[in-house]
Amino acid sequence: MTAREHTTPVPASKAGLIARPGQVGIDPRGPRFGAGITSVLLLVTIGLSLGTAATPPPNIAGRAAQPGFILLAIIAVLFAWGAFAGVQKHPYGRLFAAVVRPRLAAPTHLEDPTPPTFSQGVGLVVSIVGVVLHLVGVPFGLVIPAALAFVAAFLNSIFDYCFGCQIYLLLVRARILGTASTSA
Amino acid sequence: MNALAVSVALLGLVACATALGLLWRARTGRVRTITSGDATVDVSAIVPDAVAGSNATLLQFSTEVCAPCRATHAILGALAERHNGVAHVDVDITRRADLASRFRLLQSPTTLILDGHGVVRARIGGAPRPAEIAEELGRILGRTTVAARSAAA
Repeated sequence: MTAREHTTPVPASKAGLIARPGQVGIDPRGPRFGAGITSVLLLVTIGLSLGTAATPPPNIAGRAAQPGFILLAIIAVLFAWGAFAGVQKHPYGRLFAAVVRPRLAAPTHLEDPTPPTFSQGVGLVVSIVGVVLHLVGVPFGLVIPAALAFVAAFLNSIFDYCFGCQIYLLLVRARILGTASTSA
Repeated sequence: MNALAVSVALLGLVACATALGLLWRARTGRVRTITSGDATVDVSAIVPDAVAGSNATLLQFSTEVCAPCRATHAILGALAERHNGVAHVDVDITRRADLASRFRLLQSPTTLILDGHGVVRARIGGAPRPAEIAEELGRILGRTTVAARSAAA
């Protein structure tokens, strides 16, 4: 999915994404590579969890020991890494830079890392919801948030879809974000 | 749930996500012409230092964490530069929930094309397709482009 892109010249629609002078830009294929790994891991999580999703183990220790839960907890930690340290310092970002990037042609342009870093934060919130609901023992409490996160990561990776562009605005409208300064 | 049912569920999830992606790709950036209603927008009332174009205004709503917004900014900026009397106004609505609600914005970027009187003539959700928005702008400016004629035929 990433190798395909370097053969095409930068489209006009991407021109505005080019990192500005003085700004540390990232290869735009990096976040999509990371989202691809994330979506595979989430799919595995869902596969491991579906069998007992309707009837989770009765005690919290049993629920916490389930492999699907452990994997989702790891994914949550990885999201936190990206959200707080930035996508460049994320393990997938480093893996991309060390292993994948040298095998590709040079990127046609570099992009601002802020949008993909925000998306990591969205992923973190959704996966924490899954972790908490599962620990509480809610049926399908793990599988449904994991499926939502999978769809977002999959669309980001394959279709270059920007989930943050939609969710951020809904949060602004719900007055959850962006109310710090007074509006004119 | 047995292994077969789990596999079917996973395949179904991937299929649904793919269908969503294809649907999104087919719809994003499309120009939606607005014929009904004559809602006018006073650009300088929204952003104090903004000036509406005498012939048309490309009113873009962006957020801080939106990669396509940057791309859209470049497309619309270039478009405004190519046409006389066309202004491009990019409004950061990250802290303007009032505008997000007023214009019922569901995604960033969202672009409105206003004519010379400030009447909303078209709306584009997502990064606009350069050829399509240029054609729509041409129509609003009253210049029927070759592309518009062939599209109408």
